[in-house]
Amino acid sequence: MGRRGEILVENLIFIMLNLIFLSILTLFLLKQGSGAIVLEESYAKQIALLIDSAKPGALIKLNMEKGIELARENNVEQMMRIDNNLVTIKLSKNGGYSYSFFNEVDVDFYKDKAEGLYVFVVNEK
Amino acid sequence: MKNNRGAEKLMSVYWFVILFLVAGGIYSMVNSFYGHPYDVREVESNLLSQKIADCVSYGGIINTEIFDGDEFNENFTEIFLEECALNFQVESLDEEYYVKIEFFDLSKKSLFAFDYGNLNFISNCILQEDKTYETLAFCDKNRFYSTKNNEQYLIEVTSVIGKEELNVK
Repeated sequence: MGRRGEILVENLIFIMLNLIFLSILTLFLLKQGSGAIVLEESYAKQIALLIDSAKPGALIKLNMEKGIELARENNVEQMMRIDNNLVTIKLSKNGGYSYSFFNEVDVDFYKDKAEGLYVFVVNEK
Repeated sequence: MKNNRGAEKLMSVYWFVILFLVAGGIYSMVNSFYGHPYDVREVESNLLSQKIADCVSYGGIINTEIFDGDEFNENFTEIFLEECALNFQVESLDEEYYVKIEFFDLSKKSLFAFDYGNLNFISNCILQEDKTYETLAFCDKNRFYSTKNNEQYLIEVTSVIGKEELNVK
């Protein structure tokens, strides 16, 4: 009788350890894909390329929901800056990624009424 | 019965060794994937070529500023950035762009050319004529026809993007 109980406990520990291992692995993969460093780079480059392809008068809407959420979690007040021809995205306190665009235009941006959207207004310089 | 139990314990030890090996493999794969920056230079150089093409020739007619009578207007090089609404200043101190615009007649004889930006990138493009090397500047060449006073020209736009540090590890 005692041995049966022992086998059950051993099996349970074995299954639990496997489950813990798998969940740590899944969490690691999810965190890597949506981490601040990856998102900062992808947003900065996306925005720079969008501006490069835009003509004066263009209005561009970009879904930045994940970035806004991450910046809120990390208490970052200003997650985006566009100075001259440099786009800077900052989603964590110590992070930040910049990428330049070659299109000589003025770019204004603001948060859209729709949740998670940013609007970029491209004007002639 | 005793031997079986021993074998089971040994199996579970091996099982965890396998799990750690799998975890190590996944970790190194994820790191090598996310550890490298996205290389957007191909898209960027295409956009630069398009912008220059629109500036040099719009609607199939060559920009009147490029010619001074039948000759090339030498002053165009000076006003090129302003005329084409380009800004080549970047975050680093090095110039990260190079563009060359060459005019040919219909027999493909070169008439004149002008360029702007980091001249060091020319050698990068010569090296990559047969094969692309990621760690060098990205070169893009586009050709199109345009007209001026019913005369046809073949125009070749070469645009080069450096920014290796931001796009290649």
